[in-house]
Amino acid sequence: MLTLSCPSCGANVDFKSKASLFAVCSFCKSSLVRQDMDLEKIGTISDLVDDLTPIQIGTTGTFSNEKFEVIGRLKVGYKDGYWNEWFAMLGDGRVAWLAEAQGFYAFCYPFFDVSPPTKASLTVGKTVDFGDKGIYEVDDIRDCKCVYSEGELPFNAQQGRASTSVDLSGFDKEMSTIEYAASETRVFLGAYQDFDAFQFKNLRHIDGW
Amino acid sequence: MVGNPGEPEQPDEKPVDPETPPPPSMPKIRSFSCPACGAPVTIRYPGATMSVVCDSCHSVIDVTNKNYEILSKYFSKTSLWCPTIPLNSRGKLDGKTWEVIGFMVRSDVASKYCWLEYLLFNPYYGYRFLTEDKGHWIFVTMIKRKPDNVYSTSVRVKTPSKVEMDNRVYRIYNRGISKVDYVIGEFYWRVVVGSEVNSADYIDPPQMLSIEYDDTEKIWSLGKHIDSKEVEKAFNLVPRTANLFGFGIGPIEPSANSAAWKKMGPLWALFFGFLTCANIFFSGTAKNMVATEYYGNFVPNTKINDITIPKFVLEKNSANVLISLFAPVRNSWFYVSGEMVNNTTGASYPFEMTSEYYFGTDSDGAWSEGNATHELELSSVPGGEYYLNIDTESGDFKNTNQQQFSIVVKRDTPSWYNYWWFIFLVSLPPIYSWTMMRRDEVSRWANSDFNPYVSDS
Repeated sequence: MLTLSCPSCGANVDFKSKASLFAVCSFCKSSLVRQDMDLEKIGTISDLVDDLTPIQIGTTGTFSNEKFEVIGRLKVGYKDGYWNEWFAMLGDGRVAWLAEAQGFYAFCYPFFDVSPPTKASLTVGKTVDFGDKGIYEVDDIRDCKCVYSEGELPFNAQQGRASTSVDLSGFDKEMSTIEYAASETRVFLGAYQDFDAFQFKNLRHIDGW
Repeated sequence: MVGNPGEPEQPDEKPVDPETPPPPSMPKIRSFSCPACGAPVTIRYPGATMSVVCDSCHSVIDVTNKNYEILSKYFSKTSLWCPTIPLNSRGKLDGKTWEVIGFMVRSDVASKYCWLEYLLFNPYYGYRFLTEDKGHWIFVTMIKRKPDNVYSTSVRVKTPSKVEMDNRVYRIYNRGISKVDYVIGEFYWRVVVGSEVNSADYIDPPQMLSIEYDDTEKIWSLGKHIDSKEVEKAFNLVPRTANLFGFGIGPIEPSANSAAWKKMGPLWALFFGFLTCANIFFSGTAKNMVATEYYGNFVPNTKINDITIPKFVLEKNSANVLISLFAPVRNSWFYVSGEMVNNTTGASYPFEMTSEYYFGTDSDGAWSEGNATHELELSSVPGGEYYLNIDTESGDFKNTNQQQFSIVVKRDTPSWYNYWWFIFLVSLPPIYSWTMMRRDEVSRWANSDFNPYVSDS
């Protein structure tokens, strides 16, 4: 783990994953971009007013017999609501994402061995062939914006960061997400899993529950 | 195991990691003034809730931003519909605690048939629906998976008549357009009174698969029958006994009769097959031996008493005996009464037989009735030495010449007599079971546009 100090307030800023290039100072909410050992402040993350999620930085869970720890969060909003992309680190240092929306939980890994289809070529109901990973069907396409970020993340997750998120479903519980951001397109492959199956620990307490 | 999140007594849900900053302050219930009527409106789960209904004027308000745009105006001061489960009550279903946060009345656009839907919420597990349809309750979970054989069909393709998931085949029960008629509470989407969505229900009791779709999305959900008593217990409701008998069987309510038939049907088929095979086997191995043949003379319209047919041997320990009587009757009758007696034990098998045959012509043409040969089967006759004592009578208006009759006694003949009795008796419970099953299924499908029993009505 790499620990640097916040250029704004001097507090310790932890980078548990080598893949993390962005962090939010947990004390002063400065958004920080990492260049090797240097941290540059690029802004401040404003507080989240309404937030109702059982996951938090530090939550651990299990997927596909691998333990993971949540180290960062990207909350995105679209016209009909919000969802959370929790950045997770596995025991061997690999990284993955836990997507959480309205009680649905999916765990997915970055997938590089494919050239993603162009955004314009996709419509709901269309299928995308990921070779030996199978054929996926487009369920929805949403334009979204980052409304909040915390912890550490592998890209610059400043509030207002715009992207288009395409959700696809495969056989059984398999899912895929293609994210079209300004500078890059990323593909993720994973699967939905029931809350209990994750065996979450260190969940956030929700008042009254 | 983390146990059941949502249960406050679970200690390990509380953040314990000292390195983690204290969690942000808990989202509190948020209140604002209704933009339509000014009454205070409360959101219990801000952050999760997208729209809320004003208690006072029933306007539906978009709460995704501070503009509080009105999605639909209702302006009804009176409650047209009263939810069976009050809003904000909590109950344990499917092993988890749920809070009722929304209530909708929906109807089928074509038939106007309406039902009630409760939106349940648990911040850990998300949302569920509980539908109430004439006293029948269904617990509905949205699923991300899709039933197998419609996996690749586009939303524009008409819903098929059968879908399959987890080795269960679901048959289409209803297809139509569902409309929102009435709402109260809060919702995770922008609910609009009067909004319509395409929908279809598939059933395989006690489960149901439902799809709701429009041009941009399709949502599958899995419904499970839940006993009304369980709902009443979970939410502390006053039991409604009136529903017990009032409304027949629900679309996916399990039927004890159908379940019994499902077991009994194959069992009966097995029995039937077994009995048939067994009887074919025993018939094939039957020795079919002639024990004795007796020929006697008679003069029509006379009686002969006390003919004794000499001793004969019935082999085997126990088998059937077939007695055949033949008399050359033509518009006449020949009657034998007698007994077969065991020479050793004296056991007696009394019998009566009539050989009669009539024929003629009338306005409908030629007719005939009866048979010159009459056969009688005695079951399970022990082996040994036997003889027959018989008396005969006969009647004939035309022919009064002496004639000859014959009696043949056969041992161990191929017999289907017992077989048919067995089949009849064995079939009684399945016939009853089938009738009861059918009664339930006819009731179950009565509200369906795809009623397989419709040709009977």
